[in-house]
Amino acid sequence: MHWSDEVVESLRAHEVWRAAYVPDAINWNVLAKLEADPAFTVVPAAREEEAVGIAAGVYAGGGRAAVFLQSSGFGNTVNALTQLLTAHRIPAPLFIGMRGGLSEFNAVQVPSARPIPAILDALGIQHYAPQREDEVRKFVDGAIELCYASREPVAVLWQAQLVGAKRAAP
Amino acid sequence: MLRREGIAALLERLTDEPVIANLGPATFDLHAAGDRDANLYTWGAMGLASSIGLGVALAAPGSKVFVTDGDGSLLMNLGSLATVARQSPPNLVHIVWDNRMWYETGGQPTHTSTGTDLAGVALASGIRNVAKAATLAEFEVALDRAIREPGPWFIHVDVEETGEPRARPSVAPEENLLRFRRTFTG
Repeated sequence: MHWSDEVVESLRAHEVWRAAYVPDAINWNVLAKLEADPAFTVVPAAREEEAVGIAAGVYAGGGRAAVFLQSSGFGNTVNALTQLLTAHRIPAPLFIGMRGGLSEFNAVQVPSARPIPAILDALGIQHYAPQREDEVRKFVDGAIELCYASREPVAVLWQAQLVGAKRAAP
Repeated sequence: MLRREGIAALLERLTDEPVIANLGPATFDLHAAGDRDANLYTWGAMGLASSIGLGVALAAPGSKVFVTDGDGSLLMNLGSLATVARQSPPNLVHIVWDNRMWYETGGQPTHTSTGTDLAGVALASGIRNVAKAATLAEFEVALDRAIREPGPWFIHVDVEETGEPRARPSVAPEENLLRFRRTFTG
C-alpha cells in the first residue's frame, strides 16, 4: 500500500468525509484518490486560509474536514488557525507537504518551511512527521483521534524522508 | 437603508436556518436582532465568513445557509467568491453589507468607496445569482428570491453607517461554536 492509501483509509475510518486544499505535488498523492472516491467531497480553495475557513465551517455544520496545503502556503493560514480554529476549539487535521528539506532545489522554499515546527509549537498545535511508509497509518490515525478528542487542530508533516524530494523539471 | 433593518428582515423570514456573521457590525447587528443557537458570530479571522459559510453549506446540504459579510472583509478574501462559484452550493446565500468603510478601525474608506463593484466581482467570479439592493424593499425582494430559488446567491446591499450602539454577544466563541454545531448534530 502506498502511504497515500493509508491516509485515505484513515480518513474514511474516522469519517472525515471532506477536504479543502491548495494543491501541492506531495498531498496530490492523497487528494487525487479522494477526488476519485464518491464518498469524499474535496474543495479546492484559492488560498490556504480559505481552506482552513471551509474546514471550520464543515465542523460547525456538523461534519469533519481535513486541510491539505504545502509548507510555502502555511504562513497564509496563521490568522485562521488562531482566531478561528484555536479560539473556537475547532478540530481539523492539517496535512502539510513539506518542501525545503533534504535535496530541495528551490532556495525560497527553505526559509518558509524551516520555521514551521517552531511556529506550530508557538501556536500550541501538535505536529507529527512519519518518516517511514509503514508508520503512516499509525501516525495519521493517531493525529486524527487526538484532533477530535482534544477539539484542536493537529498537523501531520510530510517530509522528504518519507515522500522523497521534488526534482527540478529538466 | 441600515444593515440592522436588513438583518431584522432576514431573521423575520428564518426559523432554524444557520446565519454566519462577519466580525464587527455584522455580528453586533445580528445579535441585536435576536440571539439564537443558529447564529455563528465571529470576532476575528477577518475575511473568512464566506469560507465558513461554504463549509457549513457543504456539511448541511439540507439547510439554507446565510452569510452576512462586510465590504472590508470580503476585500480580504475575494478568492472565496471563485471558490464558491466552483462548488456552486445551491443552499448558500452570501449577503454583503457595503458601508464603504472599515468601521471598526475608525471608518477609513475601503476600496468600494472609490468604485470597486463587489457584485461585479461576484458575477465575474462565476456566481450566477447576483442581486443588488440599495433600499430595504429591494433587499427584501432579493432575499425572498434567494430563499425560494436555488443558489448560490450573492446579494450586495448598500448601507448607511449610522454607528448604532454595539450589541456584543456575551456567548464565548467556543460555546457559540458548540451550540451552533448542535443545531445540526442534535
